[in-house]
Amino acid sequence: MYIRNLSLRHFRTYARLEIDFPAAPILLLGANAQGKTSLLEAIAYLALGRSPLTNTDQQLIHWSAATSGMPFAQVQAEVQKQQHTEVLEIVLQRSQLSNGNTRLDKRIRVNQKAVRRAALAGHLNVVVFMPGDVALVGGPPSARRRNLDNLLSQVHPEYITALSEYQRTISRRNALLRHLGERRGDMAQLDPLEEQLAQTGVMISLYRRRALAVLSSHADIFHQEMTGGAAWLRLAYRPNFDSLKPPALDYQLGLLPEVAQSPVDVDALRQAYREMFLRRRQEELRRGVTLTGPHRDEIRFLSEEVDLGTYGSRGEQRTAILALRLAELRWLQQQTGEAPVLLLDEVLAELDRERRKYLLGLVNQVEQTILATTDVEMFPEAFRRKTRQFEVAGGIITPVK
Amino acid sequence: MSNAAIPPAVTQLIETLSELPGIGPKTASRLAFYLLRGKSELALRLADALHKLVENTRFCSICYNITEQDPCPICADPARDHGLICVVEEPLALLSLERTEQYHGVYHVLHGSLSPLEGIFAEDLRVKELEARLRAGDVHEVLLATNPTSEGDYTAAYLITRLKPFAARLTRLGRGLPVGGDLEYADAATLTRALEARQEL
Ligand SMILES: [Zn+2]
Repeated sequence: MYIRNLSLRHFRTYARLEIDFPAAPILLLGANAQGKTSLLEAIAYLALGRSPLTNTDQQLIHWSAATSGMPFAQVQAEVQKQQHTEVLEIVLQRSQLSNGNTRLDKRIRVNQKAVRRAALAGHLNVVVFMPGDVALVGGPPSARRRNLDNLLSQVHPEYITALSEYQRTISRRNALLRHLGERRGDMAQLDPLEEQLAQTGVMISLYRRRALAVLSSHADIFHQEMTGGAAWLRLAYRPNFDSLKPPALDYQLGLLPEVAQSPVDVDALRQAYREMFLRRRQEELRRGVTLTGPHRDEIRFLSEEVDLGTYGSRGEQRTAILALRLAELRWLQQQTGEAPVLLLDEVLAELDRERRKYLLGLVNQVEQTILATTDVEMFPEAFRRKTRQFEVAGGIITPVK
Repeated sequence: MSNAAIPPAVTQLIETLSELPGIGPKTASRLAFYLLRGKSELALRLADALHKLVENTRFCSICYNITEQDPCPICADPARDHGLICVVEEPLALLSLERTEQYHGVYHVLHGSLSPLEGIFAEDLRVKELEARLRAGDVHEVLLATNPTSEGDYTAAYLITRLKPFAARLTRLGRGLPVGGDLEYADAATLTRALEARQEL
């Protein structure tokens, strides 16, 4: 698949943008803070239904619109698939409520039809690689969970639905736990929420386990290639709550895909989940938070028995994250039968010559890569000749010569 | 609104009005000054209507619907099936079900739905009172007609665990109602279908 046309209104630095892209590697050239990253963000926004850079949609609205009477932002793209074209659109609209508060409406349309966020899944797939990504390896677990959620959300609408249902139930249950802990009340109010969490939590955990098992084996292959066979890589899933048999499953070694794909007894899992809630109830009442479940899952990068998050050098972490991005590309390709769009923001600068060559070689495997850079010299002459180049300055894009 | 130029009586009205749902300080001020300018003694008529509302209406001591007499006409009606209780969140939902003319049991109004994030818990709803009615006997069916919203579903699920021990038949209003909406906005034909298609729990 590739982006045929992109249209932005009041999005970040763009007052207005309308541009056609070819099915080719695209080089966006320009100084910092001119709108290169915002353009990649806009495309990722349509793929994920949320920004890979912020949790606050409000920030996406261009400043000039933010002060006007009808603040809104619009992102629209025509996506060319193997057989057909699709039009994706997200509109953010801020309005004033009578009680003085403002509210932000987010309307999503696929082929002109209004849909819920979950229905965006599968229409546009991207792999995003940004300079800060190396921090994923050693940063907080929430960033790694979010990264995995973004990947799964691109393919499985039911995962998006389960995840948002799960998160809403967690905040409900936490509010209830605080109330029950302070003022007492009927404990049976917890039951329906825990049942809901058992249903959605088990599902989220299974999706994560399966995806990670496959990602891990892909990432391992790429990692070995890049290190000349010197080091293996495992993405180790450490679920916060786990009762999969055998109990002593060794996550240090990761799961083989066959193990992860084998049928699991979902009912037994849910039952174990309910029992865990009962066992920890007193502690949870005291602390007013839900301590069990996939919102506390951990994912680690391991290489040669070493946890790269804790002990990896910056170079090792970079190689690991590159291997993960490549694994994501392969995973999306397998899941959807189409190559995703690659969005690379200024990532060459951080890589040595060997890894650059490796990454640029991948550009041939997809229909479209959009690369943003301040320094065109970083790209070999032969590569540059294959690309279409655009100059980005002050939120305006012009084709180079 | 602590402006010395505005008399306390006006300030108090504005503050009281802004306690109403959906009314912020701006709207409250607008309403207050509109009442002050007072075409055809609107303020007095409003005061009279509010006074009557408080004086003449109360909750039915059986079903907690709003009524001028206690028990309410529905609870006092011998022609209705008093062994069939339909549980609703708000009196407006009860009105919608009455409009179908297809329901001949009695009601129980919870006055809300479970919503921990907004600080509404079981003890804030008329749940104990519902339990007492079941305990008092001769109820053969409880029809849960909470709204088809996430809070309504949660409330229904909670009531199921709470009411299971009382052995009455538990049913839920059939699907086909617009999800996310309140019962009061559903039309009579849709509600009639939902009543006919009620599900065993
Ligand atoms: Zn009554």
